[in-house]
Amino acid sequence: MSKFTRLAATAATAIAVACTASAVMAADIYVIGGKPDDPFWSRVKKGAEDAGIVAQAQGGSVTWLGPQNYDNLGPDAAELIRQAIDQGADAIVGPDWVPEAMDPAFKAVTDAGIPLVIYNAGGLEAADKLGAMNYVGAVDYKSGYAGGEYLAKAGHKNGACVNTLPGAANIEAFCNGFNDGLKAEGGTGSTLQLPATAFGDATAVAQAVRAHLLKNPDIDAMFAIGDGDTNATVSGIQQAGKTGSVHVCGMNFNDSILANIKAGSQDCAIDQQGYQQGFFAVSILNNYVNYGVTIPTREVLTGPGVIDAKNVDQVIEGVKAGAR
Amino acid sequence: MSMQSEAGANSFSLGSLIRRPETGSFLGFIVVYLFFAILGGAVFVGAPGWSSWLNIAAEVGIIALPIGLLMIAGEFDLSVGAVVPAASVTTALLCGHFELPALVGILGGLGLGLLVGLANGLLVTRTAIPSLIVTIGVMFAVMGLTLGFAVLITGSTSLSYVPGPVTKALLGTFIGGMFNVSIFWWLGFIAVYFYFLHISPTGNWVFALGGDAESARNAGVPTAKLKISLFMMSGFGAAFVGIAQLMTYQSAQVAGGQPFIFNSIMCVVIGGVLLTGGAGSIVGIVLGTMTFAVVNQGIFFASLDPNIGSIIIGALLLAAVLSNDTFRTLATTYASKKK
Repeated sequence: MSKFTRLAATAATAIAVACTASAVMAADIYVIGGKPDDPFWSRVKKGAEDAGIVAQAQGGSVTWLGPQNYDNLGPDAAELIRQAIDQGADAIVGPDWVPEAMDPAFKAVTDAGIPLVIYNAGGLEAADKLGAMNYVGAVDYKSGYAGGEYLAKAGHKNGACVNTLPGAANIEAFCNGFNDGLKAEGGTGSTLQLPATAFGDATAVAQAVRAHLLKNPDIDAMFAIGDGDTNATVSGIQQAGKTGSVHVCGMNFNDSILANIKAGSQDCAIDQQGYQQGFFAVSILNNYVNYGVTIPTREVLTGPGVIDAKNVDQVIEGVKAGAR
Repeated sequence: MSMQSEAGANSFSLGSLIRRPETGSFLGFIVVYLFFAILGGAVFVGAPGWSSWLNIAAEVGIIALPIGLLMIAGEFDLSVGAVVPAASVTTALLCGHFELPALVGILGGLGLGLLVGLANGLLVTRTAIPSLIVTIGVMFAVMGLTLGFAVLITGSTSLSYVPGPVTKALLGTFIGGMFNVSIFWWLGFIAVYFYFLHISPTGNWVFALGGDAESARNAGVPTAKLKISLFMMSGFGAAFVGIAQLMTYQSAQVAGGQPFIFNSIMCVVIGGVLLTGGAGSIVGIVLGTMTFAVVNQGIFFASLDPNIGSIIIGALLLAAVLSNDTFRTLATTYASKKK
């Protein structure tokens, strides 16, 4: 098996070398990302596919590889990376979600001479360590930090971060950032860890939040990661009878979250602008494979952007225009 | 309960068997509840605590009841994990996107659940493929179709719908700000399923199906029809939960629903239903569901590490299966002594 992988990798290198050698090239770019039915990842995928229109016009392609579920995220994603190598990718985009499991696979990419861009998770640190060209994305820690800072500045200083996927490096970074953001403004933060059986079940998340708030009545600020968890957290706060006294910020947004921000039941949403992540990661690689041009700015930041009552109308217009 | 065992003694020998796993489940529930009552304190024992775990129990319970019947009949249904989001997306599409009346959307969602159940039932009865495999296949197919249609029609994987006051009151409100209305639906479902399994004559057919399908067919039980109806019941239950979640949280996600697969099976097994079929009861399933929900929510009130909750649920499951075996041998030996 590993022999086959190595063989395929060598073949891929040969193709990659052959490709970069000739002047005009078709770049077959493989993008590793989340489940295509994950609301956030469907936006990243759209960005990648929109950038792929240019790649296609030049004879290349963009292929999305996502796991069936998040039960075994690290090993599954590592497998997808190896699959991309085996399928003869000219360039690969991938998130460094679970470094322990995924880094060896990313190393195999760079060892094979395939241009690599890390996006969405891992930061420039991961990109440097793995020999990737660049990092495109929001820095999870900074996104969480922005949420904590925002709430603490508004006077809500005792916070809890809802973690529905304990063990995933990026979720932990969000929560650490949130707690540090609170601390920087003189607050305190903690993490509410949910069992794995709760992921994806809005009722389970809402009831956990509610129980936690009843048990810890001092908490007045919460941070949730992802659209579904944020909606569930808002409902949990309502059920605990704490609407107005517990304030929420969440990562990402959708129509109902924008409506909640407008209505005041959610304070802010941190946007990492997923569309940009897919779009720029693919563009950087496509342009590099085809023309050898690079982006000298390392760490292309796509977030955090804070959406609150002040700019929510502008964002709603952006959604209507299909840009967000 | 005494009426049950009396009726069981002279009409159908399974009656006395039914009663025993319940005792085990009941004791299990008491022990688990006391454990968390001591750790969780006044908040857990009071109304906020009760509503907290009853809300969880109601949703998983509405699915666990028909899953329990299927397991008594010797079949599995894993497709519920895909039907929950599929139904909520269907309803959100019909009401939110196409702006049709709420009733149309709800009937559409429930109809989808029944349809998936019908497909499961037909595949299981017309082929020799085990239901475990059939329903895994159907689950992936439904997941893919939900995703495909949602993206095709709306270009998004997360849909939202703001229900009107009547719909919200019936399916998605919190009574007293904390008790989800689905608790009452659950009670309704319990009554209907109790009648179906333990009072109506069809109930004995379900047990017979799981005990020995071949003999049941020879005795004149319409096994294929019965199995298909049972699968349609679980599709209906899962669709109902999906719609209730949409009305409660006002958004439908294409993903989600996966936890219901194993959670519902766990409730049923903790409730004393035999994995091999042929034995189990509605009261047992309800007790199993309550035990599961108490552990799930008790963890947060007890300020324990949630991962410990998973360990307790795992241990409970194993203990339940072990005690089921013990109770079964006990039951069969007692029965032979009496006669």
